[in-house]
Amino acid sequence: MSLVIWPNLLVPLQGGSLIPTGSRVHIFQSIYLVFLLLGTAVGIVVISYMLYNGYTYRTGSEKSERADVDRPQLGEIPTGGGGGRHLALSFSLSTIIVVSLIIWTYGTLLYVSNPTAAQSAGELHVTVVGKQFAWEFHYPNGYVADSSNGDPFRVPVNRRVQLTVTSKDVFHDFGIPSLRVKSDAMPGQTTSQWFLATQTGTHIARCYELCGAGHSYMTAKVVVMPQNAFDSWYATTGNNTTTATPSAA
Amino acid sequence: MTTDPREPTATPDDQPAADGGTAPAADGGTEARAAGATAEVPLPVGREETGHEHALPPQSAIRRWFVTTNHKDIGILYIVTSLFFLVFGGTLALLFRIQLWSPVQAGQTGFLSAFAYNQAVSIHGLVMVFWFLSPFAFGFANYVVPLQLGAKDLAFPRLNAISYWFYLASGILLGVSFFQGGSFAGGWTMYAPLNIPTFMPNIGGTTAVLALALFVISVTVSSVNFLTTMHRMRAEGLTLRRLPLFSASILLTVWMMLFAFASLLAALFILTADRVLGTTYFASGSPGGSILWTHLFWFFGHPEVYIVFFPALGAMAEIFQTFTGRRLVGRKWFMLAMLLVALQSFVVWMHHMFLTTINLQIKTLFMATTIGISLPFDLMVFALIYTMIKGDNRFTTPFLFAFGALLLFIIGGITGVFLGAVVLDYEFRGTYWVVAHFHYVMVGGVTGLVGALYYWYPKITGRMYDEFLGKLHFAVYFVGFNLLYFPLFVIWENPRRVFDYSPAFQPWQQLATVGAFILGLSFLIMFYNLGKSLWTGAEAGSSPWEYATTAEWAVDSPPPLENFPGIASYKDGFLSFLAPAGEVQPMAADGGAVGMKADARLEPGYDDVHASHASVWPFVVAMGVLFAFLGLGSIHSGKLPTGVGGAVYLGLGALGVLIGGTGLVFMGLEPFHAPEVPIAERWPFEGITKMKTGVWIFLASDIVLFGAFIGAYIFMRFDFGWTIWHHDLIPPQHVVLPGLINTYLLLTSSFTVVLALVAAERRSRAGVVASLVTTLFLGVGFLINKAIEWHHLFDIRTTAYPAGWAFSTNAASSTFYLTTGLHAIHVFVGLLITSYLIFRAWGGKYLGEADGNSIEYFGLYWHFVDIVWLFLFPLFYIL
Repeated sequence: MSLVIWPNLLVPLQGGSLIPTGSRVHIFQSIYLVFLLLGTAVGIVVISYMLYNGYTYRTGSEKSERADVDRPQLGEIPTGGGGGRHLALSFSLSTIIVVSLIIWTYGTLLYVSNPTAAQSAGELHVTVVGKQFAWEFHYPNGYVADSSNGDPFRVPVNRRVQLTVTSKDVFHDFGIPSLRVKSDAMPGQTTSQWFLATQTGTHIARCYELCGAGHSYMTAKVVVMPQNAFDSWYATTGNNTTTATPSAA
Repeated sequence: MTTDPREPTATPDDQPAADGGTAPAADGGTEARAAGATAEVPLPVGREETGHEHALPPQSAIRRWFVTTNHKDIGILYIVTSLFFLVFGGTLALLFRIQLWSPVQAGQTGFLSAFAYNQAVSIHGLVMVFWFLSPFAFGFANYVVPLQLGAKDLAFPRLNAISYWFYLASGILLGVSFFQGGSFAGGWTMYAPLNIPTFMPNIGGTTAVLALALFVISVTVSSVNFLTTMHRMRAEGLTLRRLPLFSASILLTVWMMLFAFASLLAALFILTADRVLGTTYFASGSPGGSILWTHLFWFFGHPEVYIVFFPALGAMAEIFQTFTGRRLVGRKWFMLAMLLVALQSFVVWMHHMFLTTINLQIKTLFMATTIGISLPFDLMVFALIYTMIKGDNRFTTPFLFAFGALLLFIIGGITGVFLGAVVLDYEFRGTYWVVAHFHYVMVGGVTGLVGALYYWYPKITGRMYDEFLGKLHFAVYFVGFNLLYFPLFVIWENPRRVFDYSPAFQPWQQLATVGAFILGLSFLIMFYNLGKSLWTGAEAGSSPWEYATTAEWAVDSPPPLENFPGIASYKDGFLSFLAPAGEVQPMAADGGAVGMKADARLEPGYDDVHASHASVWPFVVAMGVLFAFLGLGSIHSGKLPTGVGGAVYLGLGALGVLIGGTGLVFMGLEPFHAPEVPIAERWPFEGITKMKTGVWIFLASDIVLFGAFIGAYIFMRFDFGWTIWHHDLIPPQHVVLPGLINTYLLLTSSFTVVLALVAAERRSRAGVVASLVTTLFLGVGFLINKAIEWHHLFDIRTTAYPAGWAFSTNAASSTFYLTTGLHAIHVFVGLLITSYLIFRAWGGKYLGEADGNSIEYFGLYWHFVDIVWLFLFPLFYIL
């Protein structure tokens, strides 16, 4: 129930600061940082508390000797030590923290998965086909860049690229780590992900699912170009149309 | 091993196994009473055991270890064998950590070839998860759980031995696979289609898959055994809520195992069929093949990680209680949390598949269930921490390891929450973040189990280990662990299973390699310590640990063969051992409040039928299966192997079937007694015999197996298109009639089994034999009819099907032949059992109510096989 209500409360805030928007890099970085800080804090608190208790009540210490507690006897029928109330408190606290984090990231998931018409306007659609051990990039005009020929994956800056990912043979996974986009590449299936590069430059795409002996070297160069440069280059590929259609259904 | 003075010296009664079961039990009983106070009743502390050991040789004899069925011996076998696999899996890890010392760029050759590297990482994972972790945990479960329950042994001692020998055989098969063109090299997750012969043609790949299948069979047998024991052989007063925490964790573990491993077995059967028979479930062009594998595997895979962790958790809880001198805080909630996790573990599996084609609603659902499952763990962590408050905390070696395990688990658990946030998982997929996370939690579990090893070492061996070396081990271990795994978080962006990485990561990779060697070396300290303490350790009394409460600490170290001097009972709120009036002995003072009591419900002579302990047949059956699987693995895509090598393989396979079959028959014929306990908690199986409980539990697992096969068929058919499947993939020659005939044959055969049962009750030997023979004929008719049908389909020659409609033709043929084939195998096994029953019935067995039960148990199985057919027939012939 709350899972339906809370995200809807968050939706109007998407334009604001609560749900990170923009490029995948920014989205990932925002969430990751919060999780990292909170996770480290929780970890330090819990582990310190654990060490503190272990040490304070070590055998022979004053607090341990003074403790007025019924100690277990050999042969007693197993029973508990009580103390359920403290447990309820810590449990509730951790539940609140964890559930809030997840609801927040669920809002992000909605943003990533359900783009508005405005966000998807002008996207470049590219089909990525994985094969042992290279990547093919099929552009809308039919041009195919093949990393086994050394062709890079060229994309325009500041324009969403919508990827449809599949495979010709085994299960691969296409990821561009520095652009924070990744998607499984499965034969006979297609998955979708988008990314938005906000700066020009070069990146590397890699394979993230073990696919055979050449898995370590299944990479492709990704070149983010200024809009005009990309358009001119793209126009030249019109002559290189291949009849190859993506093997995905 | 020097002779333990507590072990009996060989007496003329130590006959070989064939006689063991029929040793004159009545004599043993009167002999004890005639001899007076000392002879037969095993006393808990320091008294010599006299009297025959029921044909079991002493522990110093090699033969003992091949014929024993006692849970304590088998526990030791599991622990020792699993530690061997720890070294094996660890060595593989060290090999690829050496490779990762520097990145291997394209064109360079590394320490390992790419193929060798892939094998190393894959088999490392398989060995650690399957051949090390669970068997290590179950070594303790075998040894300790019956003691904690108050039982003398597991419900089915010979099946317990079979479980162990199957486990060893599967490990041998895995080792052999390296020499058959290389072992499996597709990751421990064995994703499709990389796992099929098109992409991994080596025979070793098939053998590795079969090794795992054999392991799963071993585990399933073990689950049935443990479940029957834990539900039917608990001491009076020990309700399920009152179970000691280690036993409670094992109970939940085996429930999870029963259902989860059935799914894996289905996946492995299908994969084996693809590799051996040439079916096309996982081919690249198969509808939904690659994602089908992920569903089948992860439906098993997620419960598996809890299966692996729970025993460690249970051991940690016991160790925390003992070494803090406090009962567990919030015990009721802790047990509820464990139960919740066990149930929830079956509804989170798709969080391993967030980047596949599952839709947004399903991703959301599994995100929610994944976060849901982390919450009970929060509770359990806090319960353990609170238990230390007002404790008398002694940081002995077991407690250091349990404490350290909790710390590591907290770190691992927090990093798991990151993975549950789908958008983060989108980036963490296939990177070192996942690797570091699961090593922190799983090797955190190992840490807890190492603590358990030190904790129960005095009980198992009767000696104390060296405490200083134990603490040294912990220090080196903890440093090595964190040096190895923490850097993996730092360089989390590194992809998994690659050996070419960004040079910026190199210092951290090198740190990890150093940590790996330190961690590995720490185990040498442990082996040395535990090894030498067998000779030089101080003698341990029955309870070397202050505040230990559970029943295993109330008896000698090591416990006598029969565990307890009487029947364990908690009816008065604490442990006592019941005996008939007149047989009560005073126990030595060491046990404290624990003593013997007279109980009017026990008649003198109630234990006249002594339990049997020795049987060589489990070992024989396992060796037969080992050879049979070796032969099976050599068949490739529906073609038998050729040449001399091929002949050898096939010969070995046939020999294996012969040996295994003979072993099973002799095991059935052997007089082996595993008597029921007269007084026990049995909820919820009161009024049902032990054997029947076992059969029902086994059938529950079989239901999941068939469910997975049927589910796979339905999944693929939906992916292809439900209605066009029939038109596009099935030839018109595939008609309903053979299926209909088979349905009638099977239903009639079920009826004849019921007739056999009635005849048995009426003591009609002719009736029993006739009904069983009719059942056999009907079953054979079923198989012959099926053979004709299949032959007819193989022989189709049309334009649509130029090579016939066979195993490898298309998805419809693959699913048809394999699913109905699995059913046919069940029928075939049933007919083998029927033949055995006919043979025994001819000799006059099964007559009269009590003895007819074997037919009743067979009937349960046979009716199950029929009911499955009633699902298969409409699915594969009508719809």
